[in-house]
Amino acid sequence: MASRNLQRRTILDPAVADLLAGMENKQAEARLPRRVREKKAKERAKIRARRDQRVTYDLPPQLKQAMFELAESLSLPASQLATLALHRFLQSYSEGQIDLLKYKKPSRSPRYEWKLEFPAEWWQK
Amino acid sequence: MFIIALANQKGGVGKTTTAVTLASGFTQHQKKTLLIDLDPQGHIAFSFGFDKNPGLYRWLVLDEPLDEIVQTVRPGLDILSSDKRTESVKRHITLMDFRETILFDRLKDSDYDIILLDMAPSLDVLHINGLVACDWVLIPTRPDAMAVDGVKEILLTMGEITQRGHQFSGYSILPTFFDRTTRETITQFQEIVKTFGERVLPPIPQDTRVREAAAYGKTLWEYSPNSPAMTGYLEGKIQVGGYKQIVDRLMEVIDG
Repeated sequence: MASRNLQRRTILDPAVADLLAGMENKQAEARLPRRVREKKAKERAKIRARRDQRVTYDLPPQLKQAMFELAESLSLPASQLATLALHRFLQSYSEGQIDLLKYKKPSRSPRYEWKLEFPAEWWQK
Repeated sequence: MFIIALANQKGGVGKTTTAVTLASGFTQHQKKTLLIDLDPQGHIAFSFGFDKNPGLYRWLVLDEPLDEIVQTVRPGLDILSSDKRTESVKRHITLMDFRETILFDRLKDSDYDIILLDMAPSLDVLHINGLVACDWVLIPTRPDAMAVDGVKEILLTMGEITQRGHQFSGYSILPTFFDRTTRETITQFQEIVKTFGERVLPPIPQDTRVREAAAYGKTLWEYSPNSPAMTGYLEGKIQVGGYKQIVDRLMEVIDG
């Protein structure tokens, strides 16, 4: 005999499920004390404000780890270290100090003509 | 050929607007579409900026060929209009043999890809004809108790028709006039979802542009293609609901 704790699942249109979940969240939030509601609203505003600053890049895991370790050791946010590194790179690149030709190889991707291949020893400790 | 009936015994739930908007949407998927007005109010022709005329009466009572009386209102989209003479159609049909399958018999050899039947908010012989003729029933409903009761009535009628041997491919519930800021909408929507589950389509937001479009004799695709009723809500990063999404959902059903 099936367990009594089992609950039959309702299969919903994914859009309906998303909308319903969003509406139920808002309804639940409306019942919270004013102070908690204000705190949640502030958090949402903060997340919205940060949206323009967010970006996702694919990095080699070793580089990601090295950035994390450096940020930890200096007690700094990794985002600010990445900002500094990228700014310095763009500056050096515009001054002609960085030559991409050394790394540039034809790409087979339908989207890009070129790719950069970096020396393997960069990622070896 | 795929026949969709738009039905709800409650009036004012958005059947005609939905029929007009979906019919126009299907033509954009290169589907030759016919929209038949089974409601004596004759608002289908009005919605496209045409005068009402007794097309249904000429077809079913005077036996004129369908291709001679349909009006091409947009590229790929024909309509068969109604007016007050549709009441005579009902009386005429009532006296005929096999009266419940007349529409089915007349449409079965049609060369349209999709036929939409805009039904009147009533339970008469024409309504039964529409349900018997269709493959899929689309039930628009406002998120209010009376309209939801209309949904149940339609489903009971469909159940009776199924018992007599007709097989529907399925049905969907389309919440219309959706205002997600009111508590009653949320409560009714939860009830609808709990009862009908996967059959509930993403809703159509309440939108004044819908009324304006009808007043100008334009479809929403022409008058206001980016209005909330067309594009739905932005929930996080994805659009939810709106007629564009409903056309896509129904195209999945039609194309199997």
